[in-house]
Amino acid sequence: MTDLHNYDVVVVGAGGAGLRAAIEAHDQGARVAVVCKSLLGKAHTVMAEGGIAAAMGNLYPEDNWRVHFRDTMRGGKMLNHWRMAQLHAQEAPDRVRELEDWGALFDRTKDGLISQRDFGGHRFARLAHVGDRTGLELIRTLQQRAVALGIDVYMEHTITRLLTGPDGAISGAFGYRRVDGEFVAWQAPSVILATGGIGKSYVVTSNSWEYTGDGHSLALQAGASLVNMEFVQFHPTGMVWPISVKGILITESVRGEGGVLKNSEGRRFMFDYIPEFFRAETADTEEEADRWYDDHANNRRPPELLPRDEVARAINAEVKAGRGSPHGGVFLDIASRRSAEDIKRRLPSMYHQFKELAEVDITVEAMEVGPTCHYVMGGVEVDPESQAALVPGLFAAGEVSGGMHGSNRLGGNSLSDLLVFGKRAGTAAATHAKASMAASITQEALADAEQAALRPFEEKSGDNPYAVWHALQAAMNELVGIIRNADEVERALATIEELKAKKLSVTGGRAYNPGWHLALDLPNMLRVSECIAKAALERQESRGGHTRDEFPKPDAEWGKLNLICTLNDDRSGIALTRKPLPVMPPELAEIFEETL
Amino acid sequence: MTVTDERPTVEVAEHQRLVTLKIRRYDPEVGPEATWQEFQVPVEKGDRLLDALHHVKWYIDGSLSFRRSCAHGVCGSDAMRINGVNRLSCKVLVKDLGEVITIEPIKGLTVLKDLIVDMDPFFEAFKSIKPFLITNGNAPTRERLQSAEDRARFDDSTKCIMCAACTTSCPVFWNDEAYFGPQAIVMAHRFIFDSRDEGADERLEILNEKEGVWRCRTTFNCTDACPRGIQVTKAIQEVKRALIFRKV
Repeated sequence: MTDLHNYDVVVVGAGGAGLRAAIEAHDQGARVAVVCKSLLGKAHTVMAEGGIAAAMGNLYPEDNWRVHFRDTMRGGKMLNHWRMAQLHAQEAPDRVRELEDWGALFDRTKDGLISQRDFGGHRFARLAHVGDRTGLELIRTLQQRAVALGIDVYMEHTITRLLTGPDGAISGAFGYRRVDGEFVAWQAPSVILATGGIGKSYVVTSNSWEYTGDGHSLALQAGASLVNMEFVQFHPTGMVWPISVKGILITESVRGEGGVLKNSEGRRFMFDYIPEFFRAETADTEEEADRWYDDHANNRRPPELLPRDEVARAINAEVKAGRGSPHGGVFLDIASRRSAEDIKRRLPSMYHQFKELAEVDITVEAMEVGPTCHYVMGGVEVDPESQAALVPGLFAAGEVSGGMHGSNRLGGNSLSDLLVFGKRAGTAAATHAKASMAASITQEALADAEQAALRPFEEKSGDNPYAVWHALQAAMNELVGIIRNADEVERALATIEELKAKKLSVTGGRAYNPGWHLALDLPNMLRVSECIAKAALERQESRGGHTRDEFPKPDAEWGKLNLICTLNDDRSGIALTRKPLPVMPPELAEIFEETL
Repeated sequence: MTVTDERPTVEVAEHQRLVTLKIRRYDPEVGPEATWQEFQVPVEKGDRLLDALHHVKWYIDGSLSFRRSCAHGVCGSDAMRINGVNRLSCKVLVKDLGEVITIEPIKGLTVLKDLIVDMDPFFEAFKSIKPFLITNGNAPTRERLQSAEDRARFDDSTKCIMCAACTTSCPVFWNDEAYFGPQAIVMAHRFIFDSRDEGADERLEILNEKEGVWRCRTTFNCTDACPRGIQVTKAIQEVKRALIFRKV
């Protein structure tokens, strides 16, 4: 039997986007439920360290939305949906001030304004932050706001299916309560997906356990489309040692605060990897780069602060050339650049993380770092104003949506994305609910969803879901990683097909059974992995978070195309189509000609 | 309880050694009693306890339940009682825990399965102290100003990751679930000492009630347990002082 609830808006996910959406829908008068896999406040957003990018101009009055828009589009190698990038740049400052109004703690300037820090790809110091725990403060503030408003939160519930009516529009969501395995459904005309990313399909990742691509997969199954799935961001600086913590993130703030990358010969190798596209705005000597930290106006940015895709590829190349660190990374040195006191004050979490997990004192020694799977640029194809997907009543915000970041996301643009588009999705979902008839889910639909969820218990001779998961992770990591080629991606696709055909068995009961939970998450991971691999095979160029060995340069024709993933006709796999990029209006195109 | 594709647990590579995890297990679908179960797990230098627990779940018993998320001490999901003290399993190294490691759920909350406890009372205590900024008058057009000194005043209590390690190490809380516990008081401290907040009086009234801050007996368990190094007992003392002098 399924426990049934009625709401106007159901938000799936309780990270920054989900909570911001829920708050907004509530403020618009909707009855809102938040459904999340973890306890409240544990979502992946909590791990964000660096800050929220917003052109507030608190440190550099010359900063404004046009510069932020330009930086974002250039960082995404012009593949971003221009309208999303515009709205994001225009609205981010208000979203930060609103957080402050709700009580968020920020580091301050000497005048008491919200302080802003430098980050890769941003022309001005633009990231509102609190030490290196900005995500924690952001999620806590939204959580506290949700408590103040009395929003209903269903913690530790996992959605396994979106339900649609005969007209194809959303009628609700179905899932299970993790603690006892009982089924629950929410009838609602609007569902907002805010489920985050896909990193758990890779071995080396900075992502938390939640990132199994649930929202991406739910959207596909409900009839929506995904865009840009070939673009996966490998953050340049993950821990590489000890092996147990490989992939855990080292914030870009280390470089923003003056840290530099060195190879085994002690050379600041990033000067060797400045691409033509960014040459005019990047320092080409160490002297100029070092002066920039105190004087942005008269010096160009250090190459260590190029966008993440450039830095990750450079590290990869250094290691391949035999100039890596003992454990297969490169060195990130802040110890020789800033005082111990400064490091501990500005980067306290990093200091403790290395001290406790790697027994390395970063005020004395360099860190060993290497790329780690961090973020998926691709996601649900949405209307830029409303975040509406193709399916009526379905919305997506945050990492699970696509288009905003193009082929590569700038650091700091994720937290702002969550707030800007979380709010927009909340408004649109509430409006849609008001205009809709009460949703109704049929008994047949519930029975079918229950049966599908229980299947792993009935299968007696299937595979262990953990073994299947590890096989998928290995294939994605090895074959669809930071540098790709057709042969390897095809092998990955073959592996994915083999794994899709496997039956999964689980033991134990329904009460908090992680093996069963994984058996239900796995089809999602397989589905998004197939999207990534198929799109990666199709796009014959290198751009942002997609690098093809055989096609090392960006291609102007590919720069006009998006790849769209949908379920194929018999729903057994992914179909790919090419779609022209939306055309930027001339008044925005002009911004790229201006000297900003 | 077995899983298919089971791997032998005692296969130890040259750079590994064996440790014994002694885990308190409970499954409401199996029986009313909790039992101890031992697992032999190969570990290597640098492994955290979380890695050893993952080994059990991935290769020996896929039904072992414990919460975890970020895996490096930021989300606060994996507090457990390790060798008798509350720690995050992602932040303790196996090499510091001896050959036989006992692992139990945190104390004072109802166990639901294995290492999973019912966190509802913890979240209710959090909610009861009004954990949100209370202000009067109109919202400012820009941000409110706050000096670096005012901001530093409550910095420590904003580091809380709500892992419940403090609350479930408190002997008063073990004996009386109605007591808010240290975490809720730390959260109240975070707002009471925020220069922007104007709700100190109502929050202090709540904390002055019989299940409030006066139940604290200053055992310092909470401060020892906090994985973020928050001076929990000190924060509680500051709240007590604010109540006596009615001045923040």
